[in-house]
Amino acid sequence: MNYVRLAARDLLRNPLRLSLTILAGAVGVTAFIFLRTVIDIFYFGAQAAQVDRLIVRNKVSITEPLPLSYYARIAALPGVTAVTHQEWFGGTLGETQKDFFANFAIDPVTFLDVFPEFTTSPAELADFRNDPCGALIGEKLARRFGWKPGDRVTLKGQIYPGDWTFNVRGIYTGTRPGVDTTALVFGYRCLNESEQLPEGLKDMVGIYAVRVDDPARSGQVAAAIDGMFDNSPYPTKAESEKAFQLGFVAMSSAILTAVKVVSAVILLIILLVIGNTLAMGVRERTRDIATLRAMGFRPRTVVMLVLAESSVIGLMAAALGVLAAPTLVNGFARAIASQFGQIPDNVMRGRTLGVSALAAVLVSLLAGAGPAFRAVRMSVAEGLRKVA
Amino acid sequence: MSLEAVPAPPPMVRLEGVSKTYRRGTVEVPVLEAVDLAIDPGAFVAFMGPSGSGKSTLLNLISGLDQPTTGIVEVAGRNLAELNDRELSDWRAAHVGFVFQLYNLIPVLTAAENVELPLLLTPLSRAERRKHVAAALDVVGLSHRVGHRPPQMSGGEQQRVAIARAIVTDPDLIIADEPTGDLDRKAAEAVLDLFGVLHHDLHKTLVMVTHDPHAAERAERVHHLEKGVLQ
Ligand SMILES: Nc1ncnc2c1ncn2[C@@H]1O[C@H](COP(=O)(O)OP(=O)(O)OP(=O)(O)O)[C@@H](O)[C@H]1O
Ligand SMILES: [Mg+2]
Repeated sequence: MNYVRLAARDLLRNPLRLSLTILAGAVGVTAFIFLRTVIDIFYFGAQAAQVDRLIVRNKVSITEPLPLSYYARIAALPGVTAVTHQEWFGGTLGETQKDFFANFAIDPVTFLDVFPEFTTSPAELADFRNDPCGALIGEKLARRFGWKPGDRVTLKGQIYPGDWTFNVRGIYTGTRPGVDTTALVFGYRCLNESEQLPEGLKDMVGIYAVRVDDPARSGQVAAAIDGMFDNSPYPTKAESEKAFQLGFVAMSSAILTAVKVVSAVILLIILLVIGNTLAMGVRERTRDIATLRAMGFRPRTVVMLVLAESSVIGLMAAALGVLAAPTLVNGFARAIASQFGQIPDNVMRGRTLGVSALAAVLVSLLAGAGPAFRAVRMSVAEGLRKVA
Repeated sequence: MSLEAVPAPPPMVRLEGVSKTYRRGTVEVPVLEAVDLAIDPGAFVAFMGPSGSGKSTLLNLISGLDQPTTGIVEVAGRNLAELNDRELSDWRAAHVGFVFQLYNLIPVLTAAENVELPLLLTPLSRAERRKHVAAALDVVGLSHRVGHRPPQMSGGEQQRVAIARAIVTDPDLIIADEPTGDLDRKAAEAVLDLFGVLHHDLHKTLVMVTHDPHAAERAERVHHLEKGVLQ
């Protein structure tokens, strides 16, 4: 017999209630981890972006194009070290979105100057540049469909009608983790010089990506670019890639806030569930607790016994929740990966798991505090009068 | 050497001008009034009286579970008013054993574990605790039920386990509030026989509240309480 045994026996008085409470707590912890990871995914894009890059888009909307002629004028601005342009192609492999992956038209000559985090072998790069309809595919995409250099990939254009066939000339990889290698990029010429190109899209591009020599001056460069085209039919909006992606996140900021609120609400629910179980347990044991105190157990000891119970519940719930979370979260990440494309391999960070487990234990301790102090606030004489 | 020269031993329990009033809303309800009382060490005293006359309240005051509204409560030479909550806890652990009408055993602990509980408050080692538990269960004749839990035992057996728990720390004072109130004749006799052992062989001071005249007969002295006044 010792205090641990005593607390354990008290905890096991009602095994069904205990297991249901732990289960409820675990479900809460898993949901909490899930939501925190969703938030991480939202910010991931912003974090992965580099600050020395500007994205120049049409001021009206990201879906409106910009003239190819801007290329030379942007490149000539002081502070600009490299410029490239891209076009969201949005082609699909079949009729449906099921096999979706990102695909862009890019400028094969300047692309890697602005996006050095993408690499490929010099031989493959040369092949790619020499073929007007050559394509580079990310290694994850290559693995997904088993494609290799020499293969031909036909995409059904959604924005650009018709079937478009590209020759895989190489496979690119990322120089650091977090680089998206799930996309296909192909030469802009293939699009721009095609007879299939819809009216009005000739010599138009989607966005420009601009590398600046000094990230601290990227604001000035952005202002210079926008100023240059302010009175043209195609005014621009230039912003740092981070700001661009954050803007994307901000669009969803209401949702993001809701997710944050719900994750806090989950903690509150864990608090109430565990608190309720402990309160019931303590109330049922009123006479036992009064008996212990009559025998000379100090109030502090009784408080510790109740808190020990609550922290055990919290720890068990946290352990179960942390065990269950990876399956759920990774499953979700896989499910949305085809749409987001840019989710790192291990989206669920150890830190998120740790923080969630810690939050669960703290919340359960907090849940135990009320019942614990109620247990010792009642006078011993009064507790002894209570029958069962 | 004359007899008068030997000083009388100080009483185990001494109450002087003790009163207790409970407050119900705005009305004050007197429960005990001007109680003076002395109980010698080793005495076996019973209190009788109608329900609501303040017997349990009196026991609570003597055992340091409650404080009087006025007056002095001195037990084993200690004025209980001088002790704070924590000191009172420690004092009870060292000096008082409790026997309740409904036994008050912890249902999820075995007989042996229940008896061992108060020993957790002593510096005794595990092995020593075991020895004390075995000895106490032997006194109440339940050595063969060590591993049983309260729900598996009869009321009489449970009360005997409770008595073992009350004596395991070797306290000066044993407080029993209607210890036979829930037992049949035979089980009650067994419990009262045990009290006899505690009194005669172990020289404990026993203070018992009872409604049962048979039980009261076992005591050396019977006090009557009427509406909070000691007769
Ligand atoms: N905490 C309290 N608040 C208000 N009144 C109380 C409180 N405790 C006891 N009383 C009252 O004090 C009176 C004496 O109670 P006590 O429990 O001492 O009686 P008793 O003699 O032990 O009765 P019984 O034989 O029924 O156990 C009762 O009228 C009871 O209602
Ligand atoms: Mg009573």
